[in-house]
Formats: sequence, structure tokens, C-alpha cells
Amino acid sequence: MVKQISQEELQKIVKSVPMLSPSASKLLQLTSKADHDLVDVVNLVRNDANLTARVLKIVNSAAFGLINTITSIDRAISYLGERIIVGIAVGDCAGKLFEKELSGYESARGDLWKHDLRTAIAAREVVTQSGADISSELAFTAGLLHDIGKSLISDYLQGSVTDAVEMITAEEGFDYLDAEEKLVGFDHTRAGYELAKAWQLPNELAEVILHHHEPSNASEEYRTLVYAVHLGDNIAMMGGFGTGSDSMRYKLDQQYTDYIRIGSKTLATIMLNVDIEFEKLKGSLTGSGEEN
Amino acid sequence: MGQIVLGVGDYGASNSPGDEVKTFALGSCVSVIFLDPKTRTVGMAHVALPDSSINKAKATEKPGYFADTAIPALLTQMTKFGCDKRGKGMVVKLCGGANVMDTNDTFQIGKRNALAIKKILWSYGMGAVAEDLGGNYSRTVVISVSAGQITLSSPGKPNWQL
Repeated sequence: MVKQISQEELQKIVKSVPMLSPSASKLLQLTSKADHDLVDVVNLVRNDANLTARVLKIVNSAAFGLINTITSIDRAISYLGERIIVGIAVGDCAGKLFEKELSGYESARGDLWKHDLRTAIAAREVVTQSGADISSELAFTAGLLHDIGKSLISDYLQGSVTDAVEMITAEEGFDYLDAEEKLVGFDHTRAGYELAKAWQLPNELAEVILHHHEPSNASEEYRTLVYAVHLGDNIAMMGGFGTGSDSMRYKLDQQYTDYIRIGSKTLATIMLNVDIEFEKLKGSLTGSGEEN
Repeated sequence: MGQIVLGVGDYGASNSPGDEVKTFALGSCVSVIFLDPKTRTVGMAHVALPDSSINKAKATEKPGYFADTAIPALLTQMTKFGCDKRGKGMVVKLCGGANVMDTNDTFQIGKRNALAIKKILWSYGMGAVAEDLGGNYSRTVVISVSAGQITLSSPGKPNWQL
């Protein structure tokens, strides 16, 4: 039986989630600034022995097919790119959240992480292919985090899938966000935003989490980023990587054309690139190492 | 009983009565299904995009990925089971090709996939006898080779046949 989540309960759920490690938190802060220096990223990673070990293990994994072993952390970071480093750091500490089986959406363990990774890659591709004037690395990070709220409310949505789908089918203009709100009192973007505040994520990332289904509600300064993730999210679902019952059941915010220019041919290229890049990254970036 | 699971851009066929041919979570992708009553062979391709001209190398490596290369590849594959190379006598069914809600022209990849597939089928003198295309939901497809029965499923909906 589905029950409503009170504001107090939501706070309790947020408090029960592991905090980000100091290095993951600092990396998110640092890399969301437009003018940050790669040297600072290297220094942050260097000061975290566990993270350094993980990064070196990943760069030398079969997925990247290097002939010579990389042993220095600066070379590893410049080879992988900082978005991968951020992905590793966040995945290491919040891996359980990403790997959670979203039973409230009838979605298997690992589906959320795959969806997030596809969204991240697609958001980055949207930025680079459209020439949008924002950081593609930040779009990647934002894509990884955008659906974190689903982990928080999924348990409360158990047994609701048929009702949710019926609501959407019966009522014109009703999407899965509306269904979540009606069923448990909060949709996954609101729940995710509460976690973003508890994690003290930078504003741009918190805005993506809150507005990724309705970017036109985001503050103007972050709107292009939010649109990039919005499109990335839709591209991930179209490619067959949703999170169960809610897949394809959201609206495309048509206003994206004011911020991001992509035609149908570019979109096809993006979808193809997402498939190629995903195959390369999926083994190395899982939070709990399930697929390693 | 064997299972042939086809990922994005894969294609395959079977005539073993115990087998099931499956594909999971079609979003905007379209599943092209060929049933050959003469040889009792089932073939399927999981098509992601309409046109291979955007990346010829990918089309060579994974012909099932694009509508224009998937259909010839699947037909060739099915000749190994004694089927006609031009698809004569085959029953064609299509499913998938969903779109997100309130979509615009650019994002209607599902629709473009379906159109491209129909155009190529037409050039072979083939046409679908049944289709379940479009909508705002993902579909999983399971075909039993012995019965030639196609079962579709989507979370929150009762299973249905094509």
C-alpha cells in the first residue's frame, strides 16, 4: 500500500543517506566553476589515497586498452578527463544509492546507474554537438546526479506502478512527476533537491536535480545546463535505458530550442555516440563495482 | 530451452522450437520481426536509427543498428535457415518506436525509425501485417519460436500479444 511521505519523513530519509566524502564534495564544488584549474583537481585526488588507487585501477583497466601502465595520477587524470574522476568519486561514496533496486518503479538493481551514466554522456554530447556555451564536463556531472531523488522515494512507491500508469493514461497532460506527487506527496525532483541541499551541492547541480523535467522553471543563469540534462535524460530513455515504469512518460520541454540547437541528424549522431561511449565506460564507473 | 537476447543494434534468428527470441525495453528503437511459416523460423532486429549514412563504420560493424542495413542483414541471416533471400512468404510484424510525451519533430526518432523500416520493406515487396508502434512507453518483446507468438510487456500494463 502506497503512503504519503510527510516533510519530516523526507528529512529523515535524506539524513539516512550517506554523506558525500570530503573529496567528492570538493571535486563537485571545484569542477562546477567555469574557470577552475586542472592542477587543483589533481591535487584534490592526490590527497585522497583511496580515490587515487581507484582512478589508477580504472585507467589501467581493460576498457581503456592502454599498452603502457599509467602510474602517475596527473597522467591518469589528463587521460580520463575530470568528468570521469568526478564520476568515480561520487560513485564511490554514493554507490549504494545509484545501485539501489528501484522496486517502486519495477526497475532492476543497476538500472538507475546505467540511466544516469547514459544521461551524463548524452548531456555532454548535447553540449558539444550543439556548441552550447557551457561546460560539457559539468553537464556530465549534472547528468550523473539528476535522478538521485528516485532512490529516496522508490520504496514508498512500491506497488504503485499500475496506478501510476493508469493515472497518466486517463488524464490528459498528466506525466510521471504528477503521478509521483499524487501517490506519495513528493516527486523525485523535489526529493532529490532536498538531498542536494543536505549534500551542499553547488547551486547549478541542485537546480538541475530540481528542474530537469521542467527546465523553463530553472533560474536563467543555469537554464542552458538544465536543458542539456533534460535532453540527455530523454535521449537515455529513448535509447532504452530508463528506470522501469516511468520510462518515456515525461514531457519534452519544447522551449529547449531557445537554448540548445540540435537538428534530427545531430540527434541521431548523439544517440549513436552515447551507445559507443556507454559501452566503454559502463564497466569502469559503477558505484559498487558490480560490473567490474 | 534457449534464449536469444538481442541488444540495441543486434539481430538474430532461430528455428529451434524451444527457443525464445527476446529484446528488452525498446524506447524509440523499433523491433522488426520476420516469421517464416515455411521453415518455422523467427528473426528479429533491434533497430536504433533510421539511416546508416551518419556512420558507415558502425553500420559495417553492427548492421542491425540502422533500418537500411538491418533488414538486408536479417534476411541474409535467415537464409541460413532455408528462408527466401528476398523474404518471400514471410510474415512481418513491427513494434516499438515510442516517443516521449509532448515531443517535437526533431525528437520523433521512433516515428522516423518506423517510416524508414516500412520504406525498406516496401522495396523488398514486403509489408507489416501487424504493428504496435508509438505511444509514450517502453516495450519488452518475447517471441516463442514454436508458436510464433509475440508477447509484449511494459511495466504497469497487462501483457499483450502482437
